[in-house]
Amino acid sequence: MEMTAPFYKYGLFGDEASLLVAFLIGIGFGFFLERAGFGSARKLVAQFYLTDLAVFKVMFTAIVTAMLGVTYLAWMGLLDLSLVYLVPTHWAPQILGGLVLGVGFVVGGYCPGTSVASLATGRLDGLVYALGIGAGTVGFAFLFPLLRGLYYATPAGPLTLPQLLHLPYGVVVFAVVLMALAGFYGASLIEARASRKEG
Amino acid sequence: MSRAWFSKLSLEQRLALAALMLGGLALFARTDGGNVVRLDVKELAGIVEREEDHVTPLELADWILARRADYRLIDVRSDTEYAEYHIPTAENVPVGSLPDAALLRNETIVLYSDGGIHAYQAWLLLRAKGYRSVYTLRGGLEQWKEDVLFPVFAENASPDEQARIAKLREVSRFFGGKPRSGDEAPAAAIALELPRVDLGAAVGVVPRQGKKKKEGC
Repeated sequence: MEMTAPFYKYGLFGDEASLLVAFLIGIGFGFFLERAGFGSARKLVAQFYLTDLAVFKVMFTAIVTAMLGVTYLAWMGLLDLSLVYLVPTHWAPQILGGLVLGVGFVVGGYCPGTSVASLATGRLDGLVYALGIGAGTVGFAFLFPLLRGLYYATPAGPLTLPQLLHLPYGVVVFAVVLMALAGFYGASLIEARASRKEG
Repeated sequence: MSRAWFSKLSLEQRLALAALMLGGLALFARTDGGNVVRLDVKELAGIVEREEDHVTPLELADWILARRADYRLIDVRSDTEYAEYHIPTAENVPVGSLPDAALLRNETIVLYSDGGIHAYQAWLLLRAKGYRSVYTLRGGLEQWKEDVLFPVFAENASPDEQARIAKLREVSRFFGGKPRSGDEAPAAAIALELPRVDLGAAVGVVPRQGKKKKEGC
């Protein structure tokens, strides 16, 4: 039988095994976050002071790497893109949620993933942040009856950039690569200026 | 040498160049397989030979009665024919709209048409588009009428047979049909009095995707 991804959707493994797979991938993710220095809030917030844009560069590199990988796997017929799960778009709540997450990132110094990596290395601020995530999640659940309207507002269904922009898939891929390279160049200029100021 | 300029590049610049080249090549990528396909003819012939490409009307009736929700029943006839009569739980996707239908490649799909030819053509189209578990209803709607709606039973059946017949009578009545005796009109001729079954109460309560995989983050 030919192998086609997503493996889970084609029933290669079931619900229980998928938890194990997720666990292993999660461990790997956390390991590399820590190795990149992202277990430290100082490193993470440096991007907001424009002194160290490593987070921006790492995230954009991850996006480009994954995007190219997925594109080529689909092109070779090894991955069925129509079966890859897409979180349905809800414009208003997701823009608002993004802003809340951004503010929380600046104030707390972590995003959810990095806070757990930080907690795993024994940092106290990571623990506080993770407890905050837990409290926020529970609070959201209790307030959900009030927030329901906002939560389901402005639905657009599962939406991809090629659909939204009416552009061929490959054109969007190329545009994102160009955007990333321009972003990396801009980041290097900003970092050079910051180190001149310090020096 | 032409490689001199490359060796002068930093690691970052080399990676950027690689990303740019891969991104540029991706401009020509077809990620949906396109409309031109390759078929494994031998594999398909094997499936047909082993009769793994269809379900019988009685099997399908069992699935519907068992409220199975792990497959999709697709009526590939026109929407007017569908409106006239369709097998309970069936969705209408006329053959012409199959290429754009919202069917997922990991779903089990059962196709049917009047006699079966359109369904078999649709079967081949879906196989060609990479659908793995596609089946047709053997004999199509005509066989559905023969076997499920208006079955003919022998008058002098053995006691064993009687039990089976009793069950089939029940199935026939469930779908709004009527068992016939041998000398009545052939099933195809009673097409005009096809039953309208409202299975809203019986089947509609079952969620469409019984085994819907949990997903999201």
